[in-house]
Amino acid sequence: MTERERYEAVVVGAGPGGAAAAAALARNGVETLVLERGVETGSKNVSGGLLYAEASAPYAIDDLFPEFREAAAERPVTDYYLHNLAGDRVKTFDITDLHEHDTEWSDAVLRRKMDSWLAERVHELTRETGGGLLTGVRVNGLLREDGEIVGVTCDELDPIEADFVVAADGVNSELARDAGLMDWEEPEEWFQGVKAVVDMPEGAVDDRFDLDDGEGEAHLFSGDLFEGVRGGGFLYTNEDTLSIGTVFHLDSLVAEEAEPHELLDALLTHPLLARWLDDGYEELEYAAKLVPDSKKVAHPSPHRGRLALVGDAAGQMQAQGPIIKGMNHAVTAGALAAEAFVEARSRSDPDAAGALYERKLREEGVMEKLRPRRYRAVRTLAEHDPVTDVLDAVLDSPVGRFGVRALGDDLERLYGSPFLSMMVPDTRTPYVTLPTVIAEELGDPVETKNGVTPPDLADRIGSLTYDVDVGNPHIELVDDAVGASGDAVTACPVSARDFGGGCYREETVRTNGEERRVVSLDTQPCVECGTCAVVADTDWEHPRGGKGVEFRQG
Amino acid sequence: MADAPMDPGEYAIQELGPEIRSIEDVDALRAILEAEEAGENRAGAKTIIESRIEKFTEDEESTGEIDPSEMTAAEVGNALQDVDDPEELERIRAAEEEGKNRDSVLTLVDNRLDSVRGSDAEAAEVVPPEEKHPDLDHPTADKRHVRALEEGTYADMWVYCETQAGDLIDVSLEMLGKARELMDDYNETYDADEKVVAVLVGDGVATHAETCIEHGADVVVHHEDPRLDRFRHEPYTRVFCDMARWGGDPGAGNPDPAAWRDYDEPRYVLFPATPNGRDLSAQVQAELDSGLASDCSGLYIENAVISNPAKTGGEDREFERVLHMKRPDFSGFEYSTILCLDNPSREFHPQGASVIPGSFEVPDPEPEREGEVVEHEFELDEEWFRVEVEAFDRLEGGVDLTGHEVIVALGRGIGDDPTRGMELGLELVDAFEDAALGISRGIVTSSYEFEGHVEEYAAEERQIGETGQEVEPDLYVAAGISGAIQHKVGMDESDTIVAVNTDPEADVRDFSDYFIEGDLFEVLPRLVEALEAGKLDAAAVADGGETG
Repeated sequence: MTERERYEAVVVGAGPGGAAAAAALARNGVETLVLERGVETGSKNVSGGLLYAEASAPYAIDDLFPEFREAAAERPVTDYYLHNLAGDRVKTFDITDLHEHDTEWSDAVLRRKMDSWLAERVHELTRETGGGLLTGVRVNGLLREDGEIVGVTCDELDPIEADFVVAADGVNSELARDAGLMDWEEPEEWFQGVKAVVDMPEGAVDDRFDLDDGEGEAHLFSGDLFEGVRGGGFLYTNEDTLSIGTVFHLDSLVAEEAEPHELLDALLTHPLLARWLDDGYEELEYAAKLVPDSKKVAHPSPHRGRLALVGDAAGQMQAQGPIIKGMNHAVTAGALAAEAFVEARSRSDPDAAGALYERKLREEGVMEKLRPRRYRAVRTLAEHDPVTDVLDAVLDSPVGRFGVRALGDDLERLYGSPFLSMMVPDTRTPYVTLPTVIAEELGDPVETKNGVTPPDLADRIGSLTYDVDVGNPHIELVDDAVGASGDAVTACPVSARDFGGGCYREETVRTNGEERRVVSLDTQPCVECGTCAVVADTDWEHPRGGKGVEFRQG
Repeated sequence: MADAPMDPGEYAIQELGPEIRSIEDVDALRAILEAEEAGENRAGAKTIIESRIEKFTEDEESTGEIDPSEMTAAEVGNALQDVDDPEELERIRAAEEEGKNRDSVLTLVDNRLDSVRGSDAEAAEVVPPEEKHPDLDHPTADKRHVRALEEGTYADMWVYCETQAGDLIDVSLEMLGKARELMDDYNETYDADEKVVAVLVGDGVATHAETCIEHGADVVVHHEDPRLDRFRHEPYTRVFCDMARWGGDPGAGNPDPAAWRDYDEPRYVLFPATPNGRDLSAQVQAELDSGLASDCSGLYIENAVISNPAKTGGEDREFERVLHMKRPDFSGFEYSTILCLDNPSREFHPQGASVIPGSFEVPDPEPEREGEVVEHEFELDEEWFRVEVEAFDRLEGGVDLTGHEVIVALGRGIGDDPTRGMELGLELVDAFEDAALGISRGIVTSSYEFEGHVEEYAAEERQIGETGQEVEPDLYVAAGISGAIQHKVGMDESDTIVAVNTDPEADVRDFSDYFIEGDLFEVLPRLVEALEAGKLDAAAVADGGETG
């Protein structure tokens, strides 16, 4: 047999989880190779845009990368608001207290800038150990020998052996699926987020949000503006841009046949947003991402053999009520996985790394945050449709409305409770009904006219950068029947009904006098979010290294 | 003898060491030693003083001249490492010859001399490997190959312009454009007047001479022969090499006199990194006894300061006019820059590269450029054609939509009846004198089921746009195409764009000269009618419809 390339550790993916793992491994002298499929690190990465450092976490990103905040982050979040919307009525709660619970700091980030900065540090660190970071390499699976995982296989390079493989390859982790640890089956287990990065004139972020140096804001939006789809909107201030987006439960998006880009537009054109946006609205980038719901999918034992999953790949994305935390957990998990390997290696038992990693996740409290016991208790009762209907009916009734009025500003305090927020059930009650009732009963109308004209989907796709792998589509439609794959036409963030320029289109085919509704697929506009892997019948892979969409903002 | 600066008798042995540490004068130390001997004469004390004397005596000797007669060969070897003056080494060598005349010592001195001087051309004596190592097997000893020229003269950049099925392929023009740019810079930098020479070999290829000149060649050398209609390894190599030598004898460099050239062989040669170009480049460069950088994607010419054991004897030396050939390694993760440099004893010319198609732009043709066309005369031996090609197949080259006056392009507007839509498009194509049918990516990736007679038109080879073909006809008819940016980049250089669309808001309207709001199933037949009625003017057609 030919001699294979071999490293002590291979880290797949150079996002925050991979970067943290690689840095911690390299600092402990582990020979570490990092493989990243983007043409540059960060070009495949999208996030809502808030990165937390938790007081209770054993690792924050600036522990591992000391100059991180100055060099790679945007503005800190010093004020946090939740807006309940009903028509043009708005009731705003200040939830800064909830935001600051267990928070050392929290910064808005743009992933291209952040991840490419991290990658430089990671390359310097890993090179010292005899490894390094290679971009443009897509790892397409696990290398096995006699059924055991011994390394990874790539599109661009020969197979590589390793004593430890860290899969930090994101929400659509092909390694996690290859290992049988994760799947793309149930829409209930996922959120889908879409985001616009909005250019602001010089000084406008400071002026329009009334911010001083070292200040920034976060805003959440919920209520009746999203066609009854469970989820909400967000707005974060960056240095000179805004990150504005929406996050919805994928099952709800599918059930309502809602178009994600239209829901984003509903937020962008809401009168409340006219406070910050004007007619000169200029969108720098439209992006989308699938988000795992850790309460349901965070893998309690995210390892198999020499493989350990970290971050989104392991479903480690926590929706703490309205506040979403993902990257911080990826960082912690990455560093704990590295710690586990280093300890196992020092005991000459590197194969014990996985079990040790699992134990650390539990002992350091990470797993309890990701899969809180309180939520599990509430869920069994609260997520039944009859219960939801009763709750909604009560809330909407004069009695319920009286309750809301009576509670008044105490509601703000309730919303600010970290304990309550951990047990919010996934029903339309907290997402839609309650905020709408709150706004109707307690809110004041917004008078401002919103003059924003968001670009249409064709223009949004048109302004993205793609390196199309012509003749080599990365997604294949297995079943083109509307019944099997039709949900993708609306749920895919770059597809829409009656839009021919997207990924998924519904078409009528007539053969021999018979008419059939089918779905066709063009992967060229794909933003690699993974939605269709869940809602349609596809063979889904990432494009080859360096190919596909390239995000400039992230 | 100096006075002892101190009386050792006043110190205990352990005190003595620190006390004399400041004394470096050997004479003073000797005086102290004598004082000790005369006094207490302690063995320990004497050892301390002696070792200090020894230390400084050695220092003096090492800075002095080397006398090989008093040294072992190993000692000479060590001592030589500090000597880097060739004259001093010559003196040591002479001293050894007069003295013990040991072979081992002489070799050591010679080696040191070599490394100090570097292997000057005059000093390096070239011994063929067969003579140098007679004890080894030399399986290639009987092979005859042409040696590189000695003291050859070189000039110009040659570009092998490949043709396929009679047509010049794009990479040939790409290389000519790059060569032009390189030699313009070269002539300015080196105050020279060297040319770009295009080489055409084949059957009836001289017709491309003008194109080569328009794209940057100063001279076109061609060789035509009906037997060369397809690429043949041996005759093509023979022809190219004879062109390069211009009738000169292999390895001797005595070219036939020619008005357009005054050198033995080309300075640089470029080949396309196509299957045939790779084949030819390797054989030609071997025959000319030079090197080849294959599959390059970047080229530049500049001087290079190089230090290399074989090329410069380990010293820095500046090579002039070096062609730097960049090539991707490991699937493009790294780049190497290959230099083809003369050895002290062997010339590596022409400096040659094969170039990956698409690495450079096809230059804009300059019809007013002038150049010389030279026919190469050379007898082709029938023996070189002894391999017979019995059959060959040309893979489907796809559809070329460029170069037509009119393109009729169809989009997803045909979705209601794809086959009928395609038929209407083809009818419109037929109504023009020189038109072709293109389609949008939306059709290529659709699930439309076309009937057999139009199915072939729905293939990717007709796609216009970013990932398809880019066209710029006089007239572009976009029927049922919304006009996404990916489509627009493939056609918006067209002179006149006429769009037919049911949606008056369609993006295509923004970059159309005429916009007909209507269903293509109704509008296309009317366009065909108008054309057949003799109203060839697109504007007239547009005026007849609902225009925007």
